Amino acid sequence: MSTLVVQDDVAEERHRFIEKLTPYLFISPWILGFLFFTLGPLIFSFVMGFYDWPVVGERTFVGLQNYEVMLTEDPLFWDSLWVTVKFALFFVPFNVVLGLLLAVLLNQKVIGTGVFRTIFYLPSVISGVALVTIWAWIYSHEYGILNFLLGLAGIEGPNWLGDPNWSLLAIVIASLWGLGGTMLILLTGLQSIPKELYEAARMSGVPGWARLVYITIPMLSPMLLFTLITSIISAFQQLTIALLLTKGGPLESTYFFAMYVYDNAFMYFEMGFAAANSWVMFLIILILSMLVLKSSSAWVYYEGEMNNSEAADD
Amino acid sequence: MKNYLKQFAMVITVASMALGGASTVFGEEVLRFATWNSSENLAILQKISKRFEAANPGVKVQVESYGDGYDKKLIAAFGAGNPPDVMYMWNYPKYYTSLVPLDEFMARDAEDMDLEDIPAGLINTTRIEGKAYGIPAGFTTHVVFYNKDMFATSGIAEPEAGWTWSDLREKAAKFRDKSSKTYGFAVEMKPDPYDYEQFFWSNGTRFIAEDGSSVDGYMNSPEAVEVLTMFAEMARTEEATVLGVGDSTSGSALFKGGKLAMFQSAMWSKGGIDKAGINYGVAMLPAFGNKPVHSSIGASAMSIAKATKNPELAWKFVKFYASPEAVKLRENDLPVRTSIAEEMNLTTDPVYKPFFEMLALSDRESNAFLRHRNWSKIQANLERAIEATMFEKGNAKKHLDNAVARSRRHLN
Repeated sequence: MSTLVVQDDVAEERHRFIEKLTPYLFISPWILGFLFFTLGPLIFSFVMGFYDWPVVGERTFVGLQNYEVMLTEDPLFWDSLWVTVKFALFFVPFNVVLGLLLAVLLNQKVIGTGVFRTIFYLPSVISGVALVTIWAWIYSHEYGILNFLLGLAGIEGPNWLGDPNWSLLAIVIASLWGLGGTMLILLTGLQSIPKELYEAARMSGVPGWARLVYITIPMLSPMLLFTLITSIISAFQQLTIALLLTKGGPLESTYFFAMYVYDNAFMYFEMGFAAANSWVMFLIILILSMLVLKSSSAWVYYEGEMNNSEAADD
Repeated sequence: MKNYLKQFAMVITVASMALGGASTVFGEEVLRFATWNSSENLAILQKISKRFEAANPGVKVQVESYGDGYDKKLIAAFGAGNPPDVMYMWNYPKYYTSLVPLDEFMARDAEDMDLEDIPAGLINTTRIEGKAYGIPAGFTTHVVFYNKDMFATSGIAEPEAGWTWSDLREKAAKFRDKSSKTYGFAVEMKPDPYDYEQFFWSNGTRFIAEDGSSVDGYMNSPEAVEVLTMFAEMARTEEATVLGVGDSTSGSALFKGGKLAMFQSAMWSKGGIDKAGINYGVAMLPAFGNKPVHSSIGASAMSIAKATKNPELAWKFVKFYASPEAVKLRENDLPVRTSIAEEMNLTTDPVYKPFFEMLALSDRESNAFLRHRNWSKIQANLERAIEATMFEKGNAKKHLDNAVARSRRHLN
């Protein structure tokens, strides 16, 4: 009798265990992918950062030397970091503000909005290489359409890609062309704002700009937070456009940090040094994202959430 | 159904090759050969490889064209422990520990392959610490192409043997025409330093000390400053157009379009110029005053990976590439064998002759990258100095001094 009970218990326990396991089995493809393709390489690169790690030849443990060389000896580290920060300072605000502006415009009930939405989103679908080829032609000093148009207006256009004073700006503009993604996210956000809010405001005689500032932006703030963080991350990881459009030049005016990492890894084959580089980048992005998230409690409004003062008032 | 079977067999073949470089497929011995060549040049290599297969039944040569990404793909293959058996090689300092030294093979087969027919200067481009790691299969020296029709129309005398840079500048200035966007010569904003060293040599200096111990007094020597200043000066006075600034108009495109009277380049430009139907002549590199000219030599040499399972077969293949039969087939570079060059009358042909004359003068120096293992990093500083000088159209001394200072930490 007692043995039967025990067996029953065991069967039940097994059953419960399997029941608990099932959800994990369902998400296992993602978990495994994360472990093998994200977390694994992440930890591995952290370890690599402490080695002199050539692709061909002996690996040697060097402790913190890679970090030391990067921070104290290699001027390119600071130069490339500065270029990246400058780029981010231009790119992030423009990307979010212009994305918002476009989204607001495309949210109007005007004939042809569908067509315009498609047109503005199209550049985001184009692959980086094709995009760069198009911009290389646009920016061409003597034959480019941009300087041709400027010429029509009586302005002698600069040598966009050949002049270190203009090259970074040229890359910012080319990068902003792909703000369709930001626009799409914000547009979705706009359309989920309840119409009643606007109707009530309109009936109370609230002007258009105030509706934007007091209704649209607060209601949109979670989306803005998301686009802000993703913009910062993509600004710091900028590589494709600069690599293909200017190769970091002229005079390293567009030599991004990601390119520095890339060159150390795949031109000089110093894998350990490059791994240490990318960990610095990882930490910078992590800290910036955390700061933005931390600040978000002050300016992001979630509809489903009540903050403490409101709760106390009730 | 048959098609499916074929596809299935294909998949299995590819998969088995991917899984650790199985060298035997369907009972054949497979030899993997990696090259940076593509299109026409690749077709030539495939032709030579087919001949090798015909002469060696049971051997299959798999020509792998890595194109522009050559160095990255090659290092990845070595890193993964699955390198090709035979490959084109130039960066010996980086790879030589993973390559087979060929001196023993060469000594054994010297007579059989008539090694004396290959100029020693060419084999020296593959030597590290005295050992040869490659056998050249083709090469090029540097020359100046000039558009004969443009010279005739403008009534300017064509370049003569023994000409100097001041001769070139004088001629170039006369070709400059703003309205037709015509230039006499072209200089590079971001030249490949490998080829740029020939100007240093020709002016009596070099990038780095012969023993690789120092760049101070070499890279920033008065002669070096003179070279950079001269090119910057040519850009400033518009005797030359500057290539490689923003727009990617290439020198060969300008030359082929009749917008450039003189163009300094090598064999790799000749095919395109021939096709464009330009009536051109070839001159040797100009000299700096009365100093001896020295050209850079670009050799396509073949090396064998230490990891190869069949070094004898790989060597046989390399030997075949340097054989008279194969050398004759290489139309897009120059024959490494003196006998073939003579047999094909190249040494007397006015178009080819200057290339061989340059070769005869260019055995004194070897490239900087052979002299220091960190050269690629030092070179980045030099490239920056050249670019900055060309951009500011001057200040060569300042930029070269800066390059020397920044290179110091790489010299230990």
